[in-house]
Amino acid sequence: MTEKKQGKLTKVLDYLKHEDPFSKGVAFCPGCGLELLLRFIPQVLGNDIVITGTPSCSAPVLLGQNNQSWHTLSYFGTLMTGAAANATGLARYYRKAGIKNTVVCFNGDGTAADIGFGNLSGAAERNEPFIYICYDNEGYMNTGIQKSGTTPYGASTTTTPLGSASKGKNLRRMNLALKMAMHKIPYAATATLSDMGDLAKKLLKAKEAKERGFAFLHVFAPCTTGWGYAPENTIEVCRRAVKTNYFPLWEAVNGKIRMTKTVKKPKPVSTYTKLIKKFAHLNEADLQILQDDIDYEYCMLGGLSALEGECQLPVSSED
Amino acid sequence: MSSNKFLKHEGPWSDANDPLMCSDTGSWRTKRPVVDKEKCIFCGFCALYCPIQVMEMVETSHFLPDLGFCKGCGICAKECPKDAISMKPEGDFQK
Amino acid sequence: MNTKAKAKTGSQIKVITGNAAAAIGAKLARPDVVAAYPITPQTEIIEQISKFHANGEMDCELITVEGENSAMNAVMAASLAGGRVFTASSSWGLVFMYDAILATAGARAPVVMVNVNRETPGIIAVSCGQQDMISTRDAGWIFLIAETCQEVLDIVVQAYRLAEDYDIQVPVMVHYDGFYLSYLSEVVDVPLQEDVDKFLSVLKDQPERTKLVPGGRLGCGTHGILGGYLELRHKHMSAMERSKAKFEEIDKEFEAIFGRSHGGQIEKYRMDDADVVLVGSGSMCGTIKAVIDEKRDSGVKVGLLKIRMYRPFPSEVMVEVLKGKKAIGVVDRSLCFGFKGGPMYTELKAFETQLGGSKMISFIDGIANTDITQANVEQMIDTTCDLAAGKDVREVTWVSYPEANEPDSEKPDSEKRGGL
Repeated sequence: MTEKKQGKLTKVLDYLKHEDPFSKGVAFCPGCGLELLLRFIPQVLGNDIVITGTPSCSAPVLLGQNNQSWHTLSYFGTLMTGAAANATGLARYYRKAGIKNTVVCFNGDGTAADIGFGNLSGAAERNEPFIYICYDNEGYMNTGIQKSGTTPYGASTTTTPLGSASKGKNLRRMNLALKMAMHKIPYAATATLSDMGDLAKKLLKAKEAKERGFAFLHVFAPCTTGWGYAPENTIEVCRRAVKTNYFPLWEAVNGKIRMTKTVKKPKPVSTYTKLIKKFAHLNEADLQILQDDIDYEYCMLGGLSALEGECQLPVSSED
Repeated sequence: MSSNKFLKHEGPWSDANDPLMCSDTGSWRTKRPVVDKEKCIFCGFCALYCPIQVMEMVETSHFLPDLGFCKGCGICAKECPKDAISMKPEGDFQK
Repeated sequence: MNTKAKAKTGSQIKVITGNAAAAIGAKLARPDVVAAYPITPQTEIIEQISKFHANGEMDCELITVEGENSAMNAVMAASLAGGRVFTASSSWGLVFMYDAILATAGARAPVVMVNVNRETPGIIAVSCGQQDMISTRDAGWIFLIAETCQEVLDIVVQAYRLAEDYDIQVPVMVHYDGFYLSYLSEVVDVPLQEDVDKFLSVLKDQPERTKLVPGGRLGCGTHGILGGYLELRHKHMSAMERSKAKFEEIDKEFEAIFGRSHGGQIEKYRMDDADVVLVGSGSMCGTIKAVIDEKRDSGVKVGLLKIRMYRPFPSEVMVEVLKGKKAIGVVDRSLCFGFKGGPMYTELKAFETQLGGSKMISFIDGIANTDITQANVEQMIDTTCDLAAGKDVREVTWVSYPEANEPDSEKPDSEKRGGL
């Protein structure tokens, strides 16, 4: 019998310094990317975060039922239209009262990119001292898989369904993270679940940046039920999204963008889409449109990060 | 006087100083992860990637899932670098 | 001229607008967080507060939000975290924050805000009217209405005492007429800071309300499920009922410190021996009182019931003082869609059977800056006297739009052209 090869415990687990405050049995789909993310955040940032949540896939778990809760975090359940404004009110009062805090405004792409974008942008413009995390599953999942502003070109959803007159969403997605970096906030970053160490680092950087103002994290969190892939593939889907530059990993400090992971030989987007049923109907020509969109965004990102040395936001004494 | 039958506060507050709610998500499974502890190199990726965080350390030898809550998604099996976890139908374990 | 302004030793008499009075009232309450967004005719309030803040006279977090919806959301959250808050709006701004207004009341956050009454919604208008108040009357807030600039300041201060009372915990909205009060300068007795501190210090001796704190393990905004939902609603409804008596108490507490009372839920003006009564609210009451004095000089026994607390609707005290009056004319500065009469008329009419035979009619006036003139008030009093005398009188009169009072005024345009 051969000797069992002993490996080393992954260092990423070192980031999980705190308890998981969530009940073990909560109603997320098997393989849900959101569940992984939501349990991860307080284990990295601490159980004394004050988390805000809105109607979304996270609401049935973040918000309680009558007196009872699914987790031990202090939370504030409210509406999508004002999520960032709520977090603003909390963070500002805590500052006034001298109460040490980490307010995490936790929202899906529906809230962040669409119905709640106005107040997200306003809060970022005012450099409010809290962390805004957008978990992007590219659609309004809680209401049954409708299209959102971050849904990619060609995706089939219940409001962009396939039919004799439709091949899914015929609009390009918008790049929320880049928009937020352009607000010149102390910290903006993208992260995903296949690179948990990177995600943990960015969470901690966001917490530190919050002392200087607004921190924004855009986390790519696939939805097995809504996108149509086997639940076991959640991490692999993230991995391929990064490897194809579909979801590049970068960060922006005071608006200065740099790639945190450069993929030397990006694979074609079809490597990613072939895992996922919502793209299954796309032919080569359709996929090329999606590929062109990915390439355009990456080109912008590449160009902006190359300017790292040239474009400097003057750092004031208050930064 | 106002009743406090359902909630303890004037407004819509829940209180996590009271026992948390917990669903029997273990009953959702159609397949369960089976760990080959000889193949397991104790890297911990299964524990890292499990959405429910139910992979528990058995000393420094291997990991085992808490079957009370495991939903059988299969991420642990998929991500194990040594293929030490396989997903077996729940039916195989019915008495 | 507000004859009630009495200089208390050491307080300041100033000639200021209603908006300035509101801003000063808020400043004296020492809010922790203020959200500011401008809209005519409220803009001066937040400009004034911004100046106070810039000069270090107000130690608060001033959030210059990007829209009214954010204003209410920000102060609601700050309030639930334990802070004292303030914001102001009007008309379209008020309805833009409508979802947050409902959420604030449901969460029982003791927010205090000022709404400067302006026409809305439906027709673009930058003019006075109470339609914005009517559009939000079912939100579950306490609504208080001011008649004079003095009352604006005083009610804002009292609003904190009421909203934050441990037995109440319901948000309070202070209304006053845009253009007529917002931009009008009147004599105002501005209280001393130490007296306002004393007046509000009662709250410090009460138990602490539930707050959202880091690590506190409490969450606000839990789902209300079945019995739990009903329990929350019942608690809210009960608190609103309790606020009626509480507001009377507060009026007395205020009088003891500041030396003046505006009345509690209502103000009675020459009502005790009146046969005929006008019911009104807001700045129109100043005009009505002046005309009543003239009418009294010629022997007409007329009085005014001024509604100060609009929500909860002060039905008990109103019934008590209106019982036995021969005729009542309710003046609404707004419309009640789907009903012929105005909103306050329609609400009071529900209690008509308790009045012992008093007859009621509705006057609609003051919409969109059409002035409620002394002549208009005379007309209203004369019509109500006709009603008292048993004459045949229209149930609803649009005082400044006589075309509405013509017979067949409700016929459709197509009929005038010979049918569809």
